[in-house]
Amino acid sequence: MAWITKNSAGTQIERRSEPYLTPAMRKDLSERILPRYAVKQACVLPCLHTIQHEYGWVPAQAMEEIAEFLGLKPSEIIDTASFYEEYWLKPKGEHLIQVCRSIACEFCGQKDITEACKRKLGIDVGETTDDGKFTLIELECLGSCGSAPAALVDETLHENLTAAKIEAIIDQTAKSGAHGHGHGSHNGSHGH
Amino acid sequence: MPWTPKTTRPILTSRIPTPPYGDWSKRHIVSYDEYTKTGVVPGYAALRKALTMTPEEVTEEVKKSQLRGRGGAGFPTGLKWTFLPKPDAATGDGGVRYLAINADESEPGTFKDRLLCDFDPHLVLEGIAICCYACRIQTAYFYIRGEYHHQAKVMENAIKEAYAAGVFGKQGFFNGAATKNPFSNASGGTGWALDCYVHRGAGAYICGEETALLEGLEGKRGWPRNKPPFPAIKGLFGKPTIINNVETLAHLPFIIHEGAGEFMKQGCESSIKGAPPSYGTKLMGMSGHVNKPGVFEFDLGIPLRTFVEQYCGGMRGGKKFKGAIPGGISMGILGPDQYEAELDFDIGRKHNVLGLGTACPTVFDEDTDMVAVARNIARFFKHESCGQCTPCREGSGWLYQLLSRIEEGNGKSKDLDLALEIATSMGTMPGTTICGLADGNNWAIRTIMNKFPDEFQKRVKPTFVPVRLGGLAVGAGV
Ligand SMILES: Cc1cc2nc3c(=O)[nH]c(=O)nc-3n(C[C@H](O)[C@H](O)[C@H](O)COP(=O)(O)O)c2cc1C
Ligand code: SF4
Ligand code: FES
Repeated sequence: MAWITKNSAGTQIERRSEPYLTPAMRKDLSERILPRYAVKQACVLPCLHTIQHEYGWVPAQAMEEIAEFLGLKPSEIIDTASFYEEYWLKPKGEHLIQVCRSIACEFCGQKDITEACKRKLGIDVGETTDDGKFTLIELECLGSCGSAPAALVDETLHENLTAAKIEAIIDQTAKSGAHGHGHGSHNGSHGH
Repeated sequence: MPWTPKTTRPILTSRIPTPPYGDWSKRHIVSYDEYTKTGVVPGYAALRKALTMTPEEVTEEVKKSQLRGRGGAGFPTGLKWTFLPKPDAATGDGGVRYLAINADESEPGTFKDRLLCDFDPHLVLEGIAICCYACRIQTAYFYIRGEYHHQAKVMENAIKEAYAAGVFGKQGFFNGAATKNPFSNASGGTGWALDCYVHRGAGAYICGEETALLEGLEGKRGWPRNKPPFPAIKGLFGKPTIINNVETLAHLPFIIHEGAGEFMKQGCESSIKGAPPSYGTKLMGMSGHVNKPGVFEFDLGIPLRTFVEQYCGGMRGGKKFKGAIPGGISMGILGPDQYEAELDFDIGRKHNVLGLGTACPTVFDEDTDMVAVARNIARFFKHESCGQCTPCREGSGWLYQLLSRIEEGNGKSKDLDLALEIATSMGTMPGTTICGLADGNNWAIRTIMNKFPDEFQKRVKPTFVPVRLGGLAVGAGV
């Protein structure tokens, strides 16, 4: 059977004229990261981290740019990017709240923490607030089991949480105004 | 008989105040300068000593110590190193080869490597340098899980300090006059450089499996590789590669400086005839329903009860002990009658669990719902299975569905048989799965169901099987 190889009519990539992988990023990656590895493909994770950190997600155009930069095919970049949960292939909120749901946390009060977040933000797990400020997800063990329950808010770990504590943290984060890009790790929308 | 520790001073935590030796509020990041001046072995003295030995002598000392890997499998470290191809006899050159340090620490319940990265990064770096010397490796990659943002920064800073001090880089320790470094001798004392880089993961538990970790380093999806070839022959970028856990490497400075004999005074012999011993201390992170959880350092062999009652302030709220996971959820569970279990490498054979794992116990009190525990664990494995092997990908999903149904009270008793059958089929038959994740899932679910059968029985409705009795249909609960 022959395969039909025309482009799918449904495939549309949003583009902008400005590159996501900026000249400054290319320079830093070329000077500091590329020389570390025998093979260029080994820079895929560092490149994706750079984009994720800067924009809070990894747009398709950025993956094309990484492919061009490393001399790879875009499919090789998306293959990797879609595997690791830290990379968001769709935009998310300005701040990311990730509540640990693994063994020590669940049995030391995690459900109260998730409920407090849901109440406070008015969203369910996996959703983003209407104002685009917060995305809430649950993820697996954060390596803080001895101080359960734990949550990562952007790149900062919070331990021994209570409902009151996480609510206060959300208030502070909202007030801080700073963009929390570069946060985190788990794309609630894709499983394996 | 009460348990008495053999170790009277901290080894891995000599600069990280830890009860009963120190107060953990005094923990801080140890800089290069502080590292060289403090500790049970003054910092980098062991590396200097190693460099006066030949690489083979260093490997031999590690072999003699019978140090076993702290990443979960307990494989003898020195032996692993000898699997590397033999270097060229004339030049001492082993060709390009790599060290990948496993700092992926994502096994639920485990948080011990983090302690070293948090506070004493140079202990790890010195271990890395010693290993690289023994194995003639010139490039080391520190693969750290993506969620350890702070720890990655601490390690980056420490690596910078180590470059400045000549531990890494072209000019330094390895090229000094007093070294027996075969490379520096061959090339007039300036040819050898050890480089060390942090490589951040990106949220994938499976990248802790050593060949998946290599895939992550190569910029690919974290799919474990079929073995053989083993990484020591064909690993990163197709070159011979050693993979060691953070804590394993942190033991090396003590072993090299004080000698294998001193190391073997800690820990315990095996109580099983012919089985290998569990020498040395171990970082053990306690979590769950105890009063004072946290990471401690003990001789291998400490009974779980002693750990909980003597060092962690007992069970929270004075509740009764019900069960514990010995070291990461892949290991299975210890039941209520296994509170005395000694935390050493014999635990698997003595207490019907997979093994010691990471020796980070998660303890449950009498109020814990074991069906919920099983469901939580099944969800983890379903989420983290990489999907390459059918028994693992499909089995983990089925287990999660079945256990959720049972937890919600909608299970039938035949679901219990089905769940056990699925669990038992995962990873038990050699060759049906590529890596050990499926086996961990199997052990976890199977041991919980077998050690707490009543809790599962109570939750399910009898399966209705019509039986014909003299023409009358009679329902029989099975
Ligand atoms: C599914 C799976 C996950 C693993 N995760 C880790 C991990 O997070 N950290 C680790 O050191 N070893 C982990 N291991 C064990 C490694 O494959 C490997 O045995 C270990 O890093 C070797 O180091 P060691 O000999 O120093 O213990 C994992 C193994 C499997 C099968
Ligand atoms: S056993 Fe599971 S996690 Fe391991 S390679 Fe197979 S599918 Fe992936
Ligand atoms: S179980 Fe939540 S941090 Fe480990």
